[in-house]
Amino acid sequence: MSGSDVLDNNPNISRSALEALHEELFAWALSRSDYDQSVAEDLVQQTYVELLMGKARFEGRSSLKTFVFSVLQNLARSRFRRIASRLKLASLFAADSIQPTAPTEGARNSDLWSAVQKLPQRQRDIIELVFCRDMTIEAASIVMGVTNGTGRVHYDRAKKALRVQLNDVGDWLDE
Amino acid sequence: MNKDDEMLARALRKAQVAGSAPPFAALFRAAERRIRLRRRMQFTAVGVAAVIALVAVYLQPVDRHDDFIYVDREELAASTSWSAPSDALLPTHEFDIYQEIPRLFESTEADGGALL
Repeated sequence: MSGSDVLDNNPNISRSALEALHEELFAWALSRSDYDQSVAEDLVQQTYVELLMGKARFEGRSSLKTFVFSVLQNLARSRFRRIASRLKLASLFAADSIQPTAPTEGARNSDLWSAVQKLPQRQRDIIELVFCRDMTIEAASIVMGVTNGTGRVHYDRAKKALRVQLNDVGDWLDE
Repeated sequence: MNKDDEMLARALRKAQVAGSAPPFAALFRAAERRIRLRRRMQFTAVGVAAVIALVAVYLQPVDRHDDFIYVDREELAASTSWSAPSDALLPTHEFDIYQEIPRLFESTEADGGALL
């Protein structure tokens, strides 16, 4: 970590380390934003703002990847909580005018991915973090803000649910 | 991770929706710009608040009664007088408190060493 590379308000994070995580962080942001590219960009940008300002300070208690993913997860959660409350308010006045965001064509084009999307939120998150983002269950649990035990339960249930949905394990192994 | 899990991971990575990530440098620069803009807005807000406070202090009504007023001692003494309440009560209402004082009975007989 070279001196000039280090973030001013976050001395344990370097710009190059963030750059190395960028692609994966963006993919995580995409799944947090229902695959809306502009919302995902905004989430990633906001994550960088938090890190640059030192509001989210990395102390090395977990890996940088776990930490940065957690920051983005928290931002997404608070963002969509705000939006949900506004939608709830708006729906009082215009019940028919608000439609849920439809997933993009890309999100539907795979049976396996569709099966993942049908899982409950937490199960979907842990499957994505462990299998697509190469995290351990422990790290994924930290990102999701649940205990390791709860994370394991979600992980096991998600795998079982996927097996049931896909009926035959060989279907997706051969893809 | 067992073999099944590894194969699931591989299949999932293949199947996942891959968005095209914008260049890191662009997003990072945009984040830095956003911080600068936020700081500028904060400074402006603080500046405006300070100006409003100063104007409010300047415009608040001054209490003129706090000014020093010269009082002439002779004039002050002449403006005040005192009289006893009895001066007013006795001539007007013919009220004589001495007539109201009860006469005390005096005894010279004693009983067991005490005056009756």
